[in-house]
Order: sequence, then structure tokens, then C-alpha cells
Amino acid sequence: MRLRGLLPVLFVLLLVAAVPRVGAAPEGQLTWAVHVSLAPTWFDPAEAPGIITPYMIFYALHDAVAKPMPGEAMAPGLAESWSVTKDGRVYDFVLRKGITFHNGEPVTAEDVKFSLERYRGAASKTLKERVAGVDTPDARHVRIRLKQPWPDFLTFYTSATGAGWVVPKKYVEKVGDEGFKKAPIGAGPYRFVSFTPGVELVLEAFGQYWRKAPQVKRLVFRVIPDEATRLAALKRREVDIAYSIRGELAEELVRTPGLTLVPAVIQAPFWIYFADQWDPKSPWHDKRVRLAANYALERKAINQALTLGHSKLTGSIIPSNFTFYWQPPTYGYDPARAKQLLAEAGYPNGFDAGQYFCDTAYANLGEAAVDYLAKAGIRVQLRPLERAAFFSGFKEKKFKNLIQGASGAFGNAATRIEAFVASGGTYVYGTYPDIDGLFREQAAELDQKKREAILHKIQQLVHEKAIFAPLWELAFLNGVGPRVGQSGLGLIAGHAYSAPYEDVTLKGK
Amino acid sequence: MRRYLLKRAGFALLSLVLLSLTIFAFVRLTGDPAVLLTEPGASPEDLALIRQQFGLDRPLWVQYGSFVAHLARGDFGQSFYYRTDVLALYLSRLPASLLLATVAMAFSLVIGIPTGVIAAVRVNGWWDSAGKIFALLGLSLPSFWVGLLLILFFSVYLGWLPSSGSGSLLHVLMPAFALGWYFAAAHMRLTRSSMLDVLGSEYVKLARLKGLPEALVIGKHALKNALIPVMTLAGINLVLMVNVAVVVETVFAWPGVGRLLYEGIAARDFPIVQATVLLGGAMIVVVNLLVDVLYAVIDPRIRYER
Repeated sequence: MRLRGLLPVLFVLLLVAAVPRVGAAPEGQLTWAVHVSLAPTWFDPAEAPGIITPYMIFYALHDAVAKPMPGEAMAPGLAESWSVTKDGRVYDFVLRKGITFHNGEPVTAEDVKFSLERYRGAASKTLKERVAGVDTPDARHVRIRLKQPWPDFLTFYTSATGAGWVVPKKYVEKVGDEGFKKAPIGAGPYRFVSFTPGVELVLEAFGQYWRKAPQVKRLVFRVIPDEATRLAALKRREVDIAYSIRGELAEELVRTPGLTLVPAVIQAPFWIYFADQWDPKSPWHDKRVRLAANYALERKAINQALTLGHSKLTGSIIPSNFTFYWQPPTYGYDPARAKQLLAEAGYPNGFDAGQYFCDTAYANLGEAAVDYLAKAGIRVQLRPLERAAFFSGFKEKKFKNLIQGASGAFGNAATRIEAFVASGGTYVYGTYPDIDGLFREQAAELDQKKREAILHKIQQLVHEKAIFAPLWELAFLNGVGPRVGQSGLGLIAGHAYSAPYEDVTLKGK
Repeated sequence: MRRYLLKRAGFALLSLVLLSLTIFAFVRLTGDPAVLLTEPGASPEDLALIRQQFGLDRPLWVQYGSFVAHLARGDFGQSFYYRTDVLALYLSRLPASLLLATVAMAFSLVIGIPTGVIAAVRVNGWWDSAGKIFALLGLSLPSFWVGLLLILFFSVYLGWLPSSGSGSLLHVLMPAFALGWYFAAAHMRLTRSSMLDVLGSEYVKLARLKGLPEALVIGKHALKNALIPVMTLAGINLVLMVNVAVVVETVFAWPGVGRLLYEGIAARDFPIVQATVLLGGAMIVVVNLLVDVLYAVIDPRIRYER
């Protein structure tokens, strides 16, 4: 009878033993509270999906031929140097001497070739259609031949795709793609220890990393989906860095002694797109109305309220750290001018402007914009849609009136113009012939200076025509605890997360 | 009896088939997972590549046929997001959910039964009113709010309990309470009404006439019988607790099946959503079937009436 009574207790104890464990932080360990579920595909650069999140892990586990680093958009990585032939068709990379993967195998030209050819993630079609072949004259030299000159090759190879991130050929062939995701091996500053899907990832320092030996011995990434819980964990010192703490919670973080708010302005501008501007019957067809909307928005106050002033106000839809970016003048808050422009356009009492479509995740930004537009007389109804539905509708041109656009995709000014401005772009509702002509011209231009001039001209035209009302480049707000020396946040321009990890430190170490 | 069993099993199977069809259709109505796996600005080629990788470019009836064929072999497919076997993923999260449900059930019974008994014994009195308010709060307060208050109080202010995660009995206390309170309210209400029925029965009156102490009448003669429906409900609720703790598991970062479902929905990971809903549904259908069968075994009238 007593034994029967103990059975439930034994059952509970067995279950406790079966639950994944999360221990207290020992010395030499940094713990992150991560806002998204970590996926094993993020362990394999071949599957980089074109979003910034997997690079949270790539920067720890892997290394690239070249990659964005502090102060450099394209810093030498596994390759110490590279050169390009005059006709722009052949790129030669020279690998560093003596670098190894976590399993001790040397990083060779064959691995670089294998990684490029194996790549099947975002923009892989574009890349493979243009690459004629990869040669490996010896273990340290890689030659990439292009079918046609392609001015954006390095952008695509080193930052817009995961093709330049190198995995060990022999190991991948031995364990297969699935085996690789279960036990990834790379050439980055941290090696894989364990992973519980959706729960926790543990990494350990790789002392032989070529750039420098990491200072923190162990990195733990704990998934905590709820923002308030992430802040509670940071306050209790259960974690050292908490990603994505916004609004009122960010204010609470700032008020908490010992905690620091660290913003990272990411390559994700937000803007309002005037989707009806090509319809002659629409009020938005009149440039004065579009300018009025731009002057009606008090961007500074919105920034202060939503991201505590840390987002970067911008006049462009292109991230300021992108190659070929042109800095346009920003619109100041001038409600009187907005009303005057509306009156000149024939709307002295304002007008009903239809709907304002946005992603629910950023409906707070939409709400603020809608309020300011209403103050100027532009009466618009907020229509927040769940993220997937919003971007599907945007892409399929189902929306009218105003659309709150945003993008964190990699690339350069040309790739953003292609997606959001030029004819045929995924999110383009209408175009202008002068912009389209210049866009075609730049795509064939090999001279970087001339190409830059054309791309600058396109951006000037976008500004002059007031195609958009740019809002900000989003600041990703994070909390950092008292044990952290260098969090790595904001070191790499436009990168949302801690990196490079070999630069991350604990205080007093 | 055999005919009755076959009929119930047939209904159970039909329920599962309908559930599979419903969940298959509904997840596809919610949007395109390819859009969530890429940044806005992704090229149409990239989106098409993702759809092709996941077989989403095939006609819906082909996708459903393939889904059912795999299901028949016990294969729930590969997660879009985690790129791993969904059943293995589900089973890896199940122990955490079982633990949470077990402790939450213990909380709900420890709270619900005594308060239900007191409310029945002191019917229409102060205790009864207090019990009703407690039950009302348990049923109406959203569990994410209760969860956040618990974290704020016990974790941040008092520092007694870890804010989130798993690994010890301390980790399970707050999520189990947040989950258990809702069910405690239901158990309290049923205990109260069942006790009221039993307390008015002839054998309880006889026990009192015999001069037995009131504690013995209530504790031994009345409560034992009143608990039968409560235990039946608790059994079904335990299965529900394993499968419906989506919000509680997410707030407390508890690595269970509910959080897996949340992750599946957030990422439009169709195989995860389909598997968690179907396996949860199967558990509920099987438990209901067992209850039906047990009732039929115990009470012959049921099998003849139906």
C-alpha cells in the first residue's frame, strides 16, 4: 500500500529527470534570452533563408570567406585577400594559412568551392545562374568565374547569401545534410555542444580561432518567447543579455539599476508607400498630397515614444549602411505646411484617405502615423494584418491607399530599388519611366563610380517624386546585465545581434 | 456490447478523420509559410523555391493524400522550421507537458476539492460565496496575466522562484499554478454540486441518524461518492492540460507541447500544427472512448439505450 502511494511521487521525479535542464550561470558563461525559436537550419549556411536571424548563430559557429565586421561592410575572413580581373568576370581569393575547422581539419579551397556549390538558400538561383565555375588551383587559392560581369557579385557572395560561409566538405559528405544539422562543425569562434529544438543552444569557445581566442568560455542561447518574461529573467540575472525589449518594458529596463539598454539600429527601414499614386483619380496622385503626408508625421516624437529615441530617422527606404546609399534630406515636422499643401491640392478640409495597411507586429508605429496624418486632415483607417497575410497581400498587390512597408533583407541600394521601386519588383505597384531607364542602365554598368552615380540619381528621383514617406531605421532594443563587459551589440553596422562573438567579454576578465 | 463498442470506435475514428481534414484545411487558410521564412523583399524565385521544398506547390488534394498516406505509416512529416521529424519533436516535448499537467492537476485537486466540499457543507454561507468568487476568478482571469503576475511577484520581487525555463520542481510551480487554477475552479464547482447531491441522499441521512460524527459522514460516506464524477472530469482534464497549455507554456518558456503548437502557429509550420492538434485530439478521443466503454461495462443500461 505504501509503495503504491509512492508511485505518483516516483512518476513526477521521473518526469523531472526527463525535462531539459537549464542551469544557473557559472563563471565563464554568458546566457542570452532569445526572442525567436532557434532552428537547426540556422546551423547550416547552405540553407540561409535571406533573413538576418540565422546570422545570430552563423557568426558563432562558422566563418566566411569575407563578411561584414566592425567598421567594415566586407572584411577579410577566411580569405586574407581577393582580386578581380579587369573584365569583372574572375574573382581570385587567397585563403589564410593554418586555419582549421572545429574538428581539426584544415580549411581548404575545396571546402570553399563545396560550400558555394552546395548553397541552396535565398538568392541561390541568381548566384548559380551567373557563376560559370569554381576552380581550386591549390589548397589556398579559389577562383570563381562568372558568365557575365556582375557588379553585385561580392555583395551577394559575402553578405546577401550564405554561400560564402564555409563548411567542411569531408565532414558534410560523411554525415550528410541532416547529420550536419544535428552536430554542425564550422570554422567559427565557437563550437557546437548541444541543442534542444526551441529551447536552448549551448556553444563552447574554440581556442584556435584565427582572429583571436574567444574570452567567454561558454555561450548559452535560451529561447524565451515572451518579452516580459525575458525582462524578468534579465532582472533576476538568470540571463545576461535579453533581445527585443520594447516600449514600456524598455522604459522599465532603463529604470532598473544594473541593467543597460543597448540599441542596435538594424538595416530595416520602415516607410509608408503611397500605393494609389499612379491612379489619376486618387488624391495621392498629386505630389503635394504625398508631401503633405511627409510633413504631417512627427517622426521624432514617434521614435521617442516607441523606441525611446534610438531608431534612426531617415528619408530613404534604403539602409544607410548599404553600398550606393544616397543620403536624402529628411522631412521635418511641419503641420502648417502639410495643411497648406493639402489646401493647394484642393483639400482645404482634408480628405478621407482610405486604409493604412500594416503588419500587426508594428501596428504601434502605424497607429502613431495614422494619428499624425489625421491631425493634418488625412483621415485614414488602420488595417493591421497578421505578418504572413500582410506580406502576401502586399506582394500580390491586393492593397490600396497606404501601406506601411519594411525590409531587413541583405543587399545593396540596387537590390532594394529592384524589390520596391523598379518595374517588375515584388512589392512595386507602379513605376516611373525615368527611374526604370536608369535602373536598367546601372545593371549593365561595370564602373563602380559611374554605377554609384546612377544609383544616387535614382534615389534622388525617388525622393523628389515623394514615392514614399520614410519613417525610420528600426532600433532593435536589448537589455544587458551587469556581468557583461562587451555585449557585441551594434559592433557590426546594421546587424541586430551580438557579434562578432570573439569580441564579447565578461566584466573583469 | 460488441456492437456498441464497434459503434463507439467507429465514431472515434470518424472524429479523427474529420479532425485531420479540418486542421489540414484550416492551417492552409491562414497564409503562406514561405513568406514568414524570408524577409520582405525576397524574390519570387526564393519564395517559389521554399514552396517547392515543402511540397506546397502541389494541388491541395495531392497534399492531403500525401499527408494521410504518411499518417497511416505513423509519419507526421518534417517540420518546415526545425527540419526535423515532427513526431520525434512532439515526443521530446511530451514529458515536460506531462509533468506540468500532473503538478497542475495536483494543484487543481488540492485547491478545488476542499473548497468545493466546504462550499457544499456551508451552502449559501460565507464560504460558499468565497468559493464561487474563487471559481469565477479562476475561470475568467486570463492565464497569461496570472502568469505574468506570478513572475513579477514570486520571481522579480521576492526572488523565490525562477522566472522561466525548466529543470527543477521550482521551475514547474508557477506555470502549474497558473494552469491549475483554471481547472481548480471547474473541479470546485463539480465537487460542490456533487456533494450537495450526495449530502441529500438517504444513506447520508441514515449515517447521521446513526449518530456518526459529522466529519466522518462528510469525509468518509459523502466525499467518497461525490468524488466519482470529479475524478472522471479530472481524468479528461489531465489530457486537456497536456494539450491546451499553449499560453502558460509560452509565458513561462516551458518546453512542452503547448509551446510547440505556439511555435508551429507563429511560423506557419503546418506539420507541427497538424501533428500537435491531431495527437492532442487523438488523446482526447481515446480517453472519451475509454470512459464510454467503462460506463457501458459498469452500467448495462447505457449500452442498450444507445
